[in-house]
Amino acid sequence: MFNFYLLLLILLISFIFFYFGFRQAHILKTLQNQKLHSLFHYYGLYVLLSSLLPSLGLYFVLTICDDVVFAYMIKIYIPLDVLNSKDYNFNIVLAQIKNSVDGLIFGAPPQWVSDTAEIWKTWVFKSNIVTFILCFITSIISGYFGFLKINSKFRSRNAVERIIMTLLAISSVIAILTTIAIIFSVIFESIRFFVLIPFDEFLFGTVWNPQFEGAERAGSGQEGLSQYGAVPLFAGTFLISFIALSVSIPIGLFSAIYLSEYATSKERAIFKPLLEILAGIPTVVYGFFAALTVAPFLRSSGSFFGLDVASESALAAGLVMGIMIIPFISSLSDDVINAVPQSLRDAGYGLGSTKNETVLKIVLPAALPGVVASIILAVSRAVGETMIVVMAAGLAANLTANPLEAVTTVTSQIVTILVGDQEFESAKTLSAFALALTLIIITLGMNFYALHIVKKYKEQYE
Amino acid sequence: MINEENDFRKLDLTVGDVFSKDARLKARNVNVFYGNNKAIDNVTIDIGNKEVISFIGPSGCGKSTFLRCFNRMNDTIDTCRVEGKITLEDENIYDRKIDVVPLRARIGMVFQKPNPFPKSIYDNVAYGPRIHGLCENKDHLDGIVEQSLKRAGLWEEVNDRLLSAGTGLSGGQQQRLCIARAIAVSPEVILMDEPCSALDPIATAKIEELIHELGNEYSIVIVTHSMQQAARVSKRTAYFHLGKLIEVGKTKNIFTRPKHSQTEAYISGKIG
Repeated sequence: MFNFYLLLLILLISFIFFYFGFRQAHILKTLQNQKLHSLFHYYGLYVLLSSLLPSLGLYFVLTICDDVVFAYMIKIYIPLDVLNSKDYNFNIVLAQIKNSVDGLIFGAPPQWVSDTAEIWKTWVFKSNIVTFILCFITSIISGYFGFLKINSKFRSRNAVERIIMTLLAISSVIAILTTIAIIFSVIFESIRFFVLIPFDEFLFGTVWNPQFEGAERAGSGQEGLSQYGAVPLFAGTFLISFIALSVSIPIGLFSAIYLSEYATSKERAIFKPLLEILAGIPTVVYGFFAALTVAPFLRSSGSFFGLDVASESALAAGLVMGIMIIPFISSLSDDVINAVPQSLRDAGYGLGSTKNETVLKIVLPAALPGVVASIILAVSRAVGETMIVVMAAGLAANLTANPLEAVTTVTSQIVTILVGDQEFESAKTLSAFALALTLIIITLGMNFYALHIVKKYKEQYE
Repeated sequence: MINEENDFRKLDLTVGDVFSKDARLKARNVNVFYGNNKAIDNVTIDIGNKEVISFIGPSGCGKSTFLRCFNRMNDTIDTCRVEGKITLEDENIYDRKIDVVPLRARIGMVFQKPNPFPKSIYDNVAYGPRIHGLCENKDHLDGIVEQSLKRAGLWEEVNDRLLSAGTGLSGGQQQRLCIARAIAVSPEVILMDEPCSALDPIATAKIEELIHELGNEYSIVIVTHSMQQAARVSKRTAYFHLGKLIEVGKTKNIFTRPKHSQTEAYISGKIG
């Protein structure tokens, strides 16, 4: 609640400054008859931003920093016997104190925890007051300095433009930094894995059989020997993705062509939203559709033909995943095909092309870069798709190209490894990060390659 | 000023020589509707053999719509309906038995905006012969491409880069490429829908010169906004107004001694 009121106050002050800036500009123009560079509201906006942004920045810095500082300061209040005990872990102690501060008390915490929590609470109170005063003063002072800048020569419009551009740039940098942070966190965990397991064994090993360290697998003669060969997982991923894409690329592309070239506007108005509903179905629903409907159907129809279809076959997962991807391809390709100028179609018809020839020889080649882009997106979806394969593809890491057998994928292994309580030092847990890293590298590589293709064609056409 | 009373009587009948002794295309009582909107009202005209005729008139008068009737391009518009009869060599092109594919090979079209395919210059010109199966082998096709580009006056400029993109040419070159593409299938008639309106004066002059030359081999129907252009390139001129064909005649006569008061008003700049 304190935060809310503080932010409200800062906002209110900045709006008041807007009024003053606006009025000052107005006075300059009307009473002193000076020629202003910008319109009145730009002066107001400049003063508003110069009041709002520094105080907001200060607020965020203070609220983020105070926890860190408190955690550092609280150390001296922890009793010596706790500090010296054998299983002392500062993070756990800190969590205990913080829970106590938030009123989350499990059982009866030791007296010293409640004491330190009380100390912490007083700090929070003081820090709130300090934050409040600092932000309040900053907003007024910086707003006042912004206000002082107003004169007939000050180019407030340009200044406001610059500030807004900076804000936009910061937003895009945040997205990029997050991506980089994700990649680095995965890289660091993967390095810890590769310390335990050799790089080449992971990349080229053909047996995937992770075990808890030291745990013996009942009934197996391997005495809990773990093997981390990722080849079967990637083979499974690509097998399922291949099946999915061979379903979704033709169906998606053909339906896009039908919708954009052949369908009347009425049909289009019905079909397109219906097709896009497919994109709105949660993947977990596709998952049980694959596991409960498609897989048994494939199994029974397989046995009819004398084929032995595993109950969790790659085919079932791949088919359903293909259905899931159709709207990605059809919707994007449809937009791209529609963007091909009508004049090109007219030229084709004018030369006596049939509709089919016009589509195949003129419209599709012109739309190719966009179509390829939609297929890339589909490939990334297929490789990264998790829920369907967890539910329908099984967990047996078979190295096979037979779509009727059960295979497992990288993503479903990551899920099974990380679900539940895990010890973070074991190779089994860390292997999830190594898998994730490899997956990221592969999809990045595919995206780069595909972008390269798109670029090549674009140059040829435009 | 236009004499209102006089006009009402004359509007129903086209003034001038609508018929031609050596007619290649004959349009008889053609009406075109967009939905319930009548865009072309009872137009009758002949297009002569190896004749350049221009359609002029204010914007929205239906001259482009009428032009698109000759190769049935209006078929591609869902709401468009054509009534009446148009014959090419005494064959009704709106007959049910007529297939539009060979028809459009016989009647080529050049559009307002240059619209080369996003393919190489060679493939642009070779497109028509390929889909109509006009070439026996690669050498033959090479010959057709070269011949068409030469006729379109583009060969000298592009013969060293036939495999580069057609879209990389200048606007005027693109339009001449489109003309080469149209004549590669050896049409009998070429329809041109304001072919110079997107071009600069120099490119326009080149196209006009080209139209003049091509007029010796093909029948050319050209829709234009520019009366000067009509005067320069065509032997006959037809004036359209509000979907009606008002007057047809020798270009010289239309521009110097128009018979209809509306034609006179248009060429003297009173209707625009």
